Formats: sequence, structure tokens, C-alpha cells
Amino acid sequence: MPSTTDSQRMPLADRLRRGLSNGRITSVLILLPPALILFTLFVMLPLLESGYYAFFDWNGYGEPTDYVGLENFERIVGHSVFHTAAANTGKIIAVSLIVQMPFALLLALLIYRKTPTNAVFRLIFFLPYILAEVAAGLIWSFVFDGNYGVTASIAEAFGAESLFILADRDWAFVAILTVILWKYFGFHMMIYIAALQGVSNDQIEAARIEGATRLQVVRYVQIPAIKPAIAVSAFFAIIGALQVFDVIIPLTNGGPSNTTHTIVTYLYTFGLTRLNIGFGSAVGVILFAVAVTIAVFYQRVFMGRSES
Amino acid sequence: MAEVRLNNLTKRFGSVTVIPELDLTVPDGSFTVLVGPSGCGKSTLLRIIAGLETPTEGSVEIGGADVTREEPSNRGISMVFQSYALYPHMTVAQNIDFGLRLSKTPAAEREERVAEAARILSLEPLLDRKPGQLSGGQRQRVAIGRSIVRQPKVFLFDEPLSNLDAALRSQMRVELAQLHKSITTTMIYVTHDQVEAMTLADQIVVMNAGRIEQVGAPMELYDKPQSEFVAAFIGSPKMNLLPGKAVQHDEVETVGIRPEHIRADTEDGDWPGTATIVEHLGADTMAHVKADELGDLIVRLPGHTRLSAGDRVFLTPERENLHLFGKDGRRMELNV
Ligand SMILES: Nc1ncnc2c1ncn2[C@@H]1O[C@H](COP(=O)(O)OP(=O)(O)O)[C@@H](O)[C@H]1O
Ligand SMILES: [Mg+2]
Repeated sequence: MPSTTDSQRMPLADRLRRGLSNGRITSVLILLPPALILFTLFVMLPLLESGYYAFFDWNGYGEPTDYVGLENFERIVGHSVFHTAAANTGKIIAVSLIVQMPFALLLALLIYRKTPTNAVFRLIFFLPYILAEVAAGLIWSFVFDGNYGVTASIAEAFGAESLFILADRDWAFVAILTVILWKYFGFHMMIYIAALQGVSNDQIEAARIEGATRLQVVRYVQIPAIKPAIAVSAFFAIIGALQVFDVIIPLTNGGPSNTTHTIVTYLYTFGLTRLNIGFGSAVGVILFAVAVTIAVFYQRVFMGRSES
Repeated sequence: MAEVRLNNLTKRFGSVTVIPELDLTVPDGSFTVLVGPSGCGKSTLLRIIAGLETPTEGSVEIGGADVTREEPSNRGISMVFQSYALYPHMTVAQNIDFGLRLSKTPAAEREERVAEAARILSLEPLLDRKPGQLSGGQRQRVAIGRSIVRQPKVFLFDEPLSNLDAALRSQMRVELAQLHKSITTTMIYVTHDQVEAMTLADQIVVMNAGRIEQVGAPMELYDKPQSEFVAAFIGSPKMNLLPGKAVQHDEVETVGIRPEHIRADTEDGDWPGTATIVEHLGADTMAHVKADELGDLIVRLPGHTRLSAGDRVFLTPERENLHLFGKDGRRMELNV
């Protein structure tokens, strides 16, 4: 188009004048600053600050003066609890991708059609996600309670020794994974439901005429059609796994023997509650770097190309 | 190849009856077009034949076998959708090949059949492309190709040309007619466009509100419409429908006369009137006339007729080409 090449050749001043006169630049000048200021004040500055604190031994009171260089980072890397926390975060990612997403997809395939019964099921499955994390944690701590919880009753019914799952070093984190799966599968299910409802019904019927079984329709028509939604949901699963915190605090608070920490509860426990703000900041910097790396990499690889 | 029979077919969606009791025979090897206004139940009928809907009552036979409870894939049919229903993530070749892959047809035969379909439909240069890179007409051909490779007994088409522009539509119409000539399989074709019906069909089924108004060859419907609805639906420009007083007969409610069956004169005729619009189309002249007694009519006159808007004209219908309809809208055979 000639008009585009024209505007590309135009001197900057002319372009600016034209932009001002047609209102585009004006609206940018008016609408951008509030967002930019808020972003700077509440996102960029705290980030940069914590990046700065990470190099100090600082309890959060007064000015940080005790410059320690990379010592905080060295301590983190050498701390066995951090290794456990990182591994646990990895486990959450793995369970989200390998168990939770297929499970959510299965349910979505069962109830994506718009019927009254399906609407009820959708609401039920979505409830855990709506529930506040802390409330969910309390509900499950009752379920897992070895004295008077649901597991206690079950164990009793089978005549077994009462179980204290959340106090068991082997089972506590499995319990936490279960709660996370229960809490967030509804979110992924909703993404899939929305996407499945957008798949052309003609395509599905054409496949039926071609002789596809229900499973083959899923495999050859529906899943390929909702690939972008799956990519988005996996992205949220990974980023969400890196941030798991409020489910764990009411359930185990990181215990027993610090076996159920994630990176964020590790930060909270060893950085904030013990007044090692510099140390916590360093954990935050590591977490931030990992998250950004994953986000950029993921966008490039899975969400950049769009098949038209 | 197969005949398709629908016996006592009824379809209700909840309390809404879309098709009340319908019988129809589609002869083996015919090109049958179901035509009717939007919402009259054409797609529903086609989907019942395909097995995508189950009839509330009645049965469907294909090639002599009752397939009413049979899965779509076991009926020996294939269907081309208005939206084409191609798979965007598969290439043209994979789209065409899809059904054969599912049925585990040997690779050599699959390749052969895909190549044959691509040849018939001139798709050879496009086999490695994705549907997103094709034009509307090309996508339509791929959808037809996917149907052909299955070698069905009956082809079903649901408004396959509706998404194409006018030029492409008439071209595809010719291609479909040729396709039917070359593979001589039974074809059932749904459209709301009577021009498509007239040009493609050897049997037209005119539907109205779930009922069949008339079944017949195109010219049969044109020459002897059995109801006022068919008279008004088939033919372009439309048949003129005039009040019964145009003929002297008590029982006649409506009188129909096609534009080409009226003569015009400047001095004398049965129906005096005034020309309101005159369109010179070259070979023909279409004159819109306001008759003094009978209201508006369209008349088809020779190309060089000297007539302009505002002129007085006297119209005379060809008596033998009058269509008479009673109060129930059915055709009446009378001499007037
Ligand atoms: N699944 C359905 N549920 C309820 N009503 C339907 C359904 N499918 C079609 N109908 C109704 O049946 C009538 C005929 O539809 P259809 O067969 O698509 O008409 P056509 O193809 O002739 O335009 C319409 O009034 C439509 O609203
Ligand atoms: Mg339709």
C-alpha cells in the first residue's frame, strides 16, 4: 500500500504532527503514563530494590549497610532445604503437566457440551479454584488429620493404625501435591472447555462420517484444534507451580523437617520470618530469574509460531 | 451405487416438529436436489440420511438396507459441508486421506485413490499445502476430494457453494455436474438457491416447512407447478401471481403466468396497464408493468422492444400457459 511506505519515508517531525492531529499519539500520551507510573512504582522499583538488598546482610530495619557480596547466594546454593524446595517445585511442575493437565482435559471433554447437567458439573469442578487458598488448606488439614479427620475414619474402618499423613516425611508432600491438583485442575479444565466449545462441530461430524471413533475424534480433531489453549494452560501451570505458597502454609508450614517447602515458602520461612531480608531477596532474585527465563523460552518455543 | 428411501420420516426437536411424516425415494444414480427456503428442514433431512440425527419416527434405507440405527460411517455415504469442515492442521493430502487412514486401507491403495481424486479435481499442485493457504473454491474441491476417495454409495452435499462468490459458484456448479457425469453415484444436494436446483438436478424436491411440495424433473416443476408455493419458488424472474379475477372462474384463487408467457402491445390487449420500469438486458427486455385491474407484473419481451417507463401497454397472456390455483394453494386443471 502506498500510504504505508509514505508514512515510513516521512520525517519524524511530520509523523509526529500527523499522529497528534489524528489523535493517536495524544491518546497514547494521556493513557500511558498512569499505567507506566504504577508499573514503575509497584513492580519495577521493588524488583530493583530487592535485587539491591540481595547483596546485603540485612534484617529489614534501618538502612542496609552490611554489604556481603554474593554470600547470600552461596548460602542458598549450599543449603539442603533449598535443594528440597527446588526439587519440590520441580515435582509440582511435573505433576501439573503430567497428571493435572490430562485429567483436566479428560473432564473438559466429558462436560464441554452446553447442557444443564454439564453446567452443574462445571460449577462443582470449578469450586476448588474459587475457594481461597487458605480455606482450602484448612479443609484439607481436617481431611488429613490423624485423630479426627477423614483419613482417620478410613484408617479406623480398615482397622489400621491411625495415619498422620501431614506429619509423615514420605507422604506429606504427596498430600500437598494432591491438594494442588484438586485446587487448580478446574482452572485448566475451564480453559479447555472454552477452547473445545470453539471447535467446529462440522469438523467433528465430518470425522464421524469418515469413521473416526470418539477417541480418534479427540486425538485427530479436537486436541489439534485446541493446541494453543493447551500451550497457554501449560504456561500457567508452570508459572503457577513456581509460585505455590498459600496452600502449603496452613497444611504443613514446610514441615515435617522442612521436607515440604517450595521456593516461595522457603523464601518466606528463611527470609521473612527469620528477618533475613537480604537472604530472602536473594531467593527472590533467583526465583525471578528462573520465571523470566522460562517465560521467555516458552513464549519463543510454544506460543510464538501460530499455524494458520 | 444405491437408491435412498425415506419412509414415514418424522423429526421433532423437543416439542417442535421440524419434519412431519415424509416419504421420499431418491433413485439410484440420480442427482437429487432438495430445495426450499431457509429453515424448512433441508439440512435436518440430509443429516438424518447421513446418520448425524436420528429420526423420531420412520426409517431410512440406503441400497435396500435399513440403516436407521446405523452409524454414519457404516452407511456408505459421504458428506460435504457448507463450511468445508477441513482440518487446518493437516495438509490437503492428509485431509483427503483421513478416512482411508482411519479405515487402515493399505498405503499403496490410499496413495492411488488420493492421486485419482486429486487428478479429477485438479488438486495435484496443492497436495502439500494446508487449508489455510487455499482459496474458497480450492477448499471446496478438497472437501469434495475427501468425499470421493471413500467411494461412497451416496454423496450428500449441504449448501456446498453458499460460501463462494457468484463467479466461482457458477464455475463449481459446472464442475459438480461434470463430476456427477463421470462417477454416476447417487447425489443428494441441499440448497436454498433454485438456480442451483434447476441447473444441477435431474430430480428436484421442493420443500416447505418440513413438507414436500413437489418432486419432479426441473422442467416438470417449471411447466406444471403443483402448488402456488412451487410456482413462486421455481423460476427467475419469478412467476407473476395475480388475483383470481384475472380469469372468469369462481374457484380460482390465484392465477400464475410466467413473464415470458405474456405478449405486450401498444394498442390492444386483455390487461391494460402502465410500464413503471423497463430494463434492457440485451437479448431480453424486462418490463415492470402496473396493470390497472391486477397490480404489478413482470413481462419478458424481445431485446429491441421500444418501450419506456410511463408508456401505456396492453398485455395478453398465453391462455395455455396460465397456472390456476385454488383456495388450498393446489393446482387446478381447468380450461379458461
Ligand atoms: N438441533 C436442533 N435443535 C432444535 N431445533 C433445530 C435443530 N436443528 C435444526 N432445528 C430447527 O429445525 C428447523 C429446520 O432447520 P434446518 O434443517 O437447518 O433448515 P434448512 O437447512 O432448511 O435451513 C429450523 O427451524 C431449526 O431451528
Ligand atoms: Mg441448512
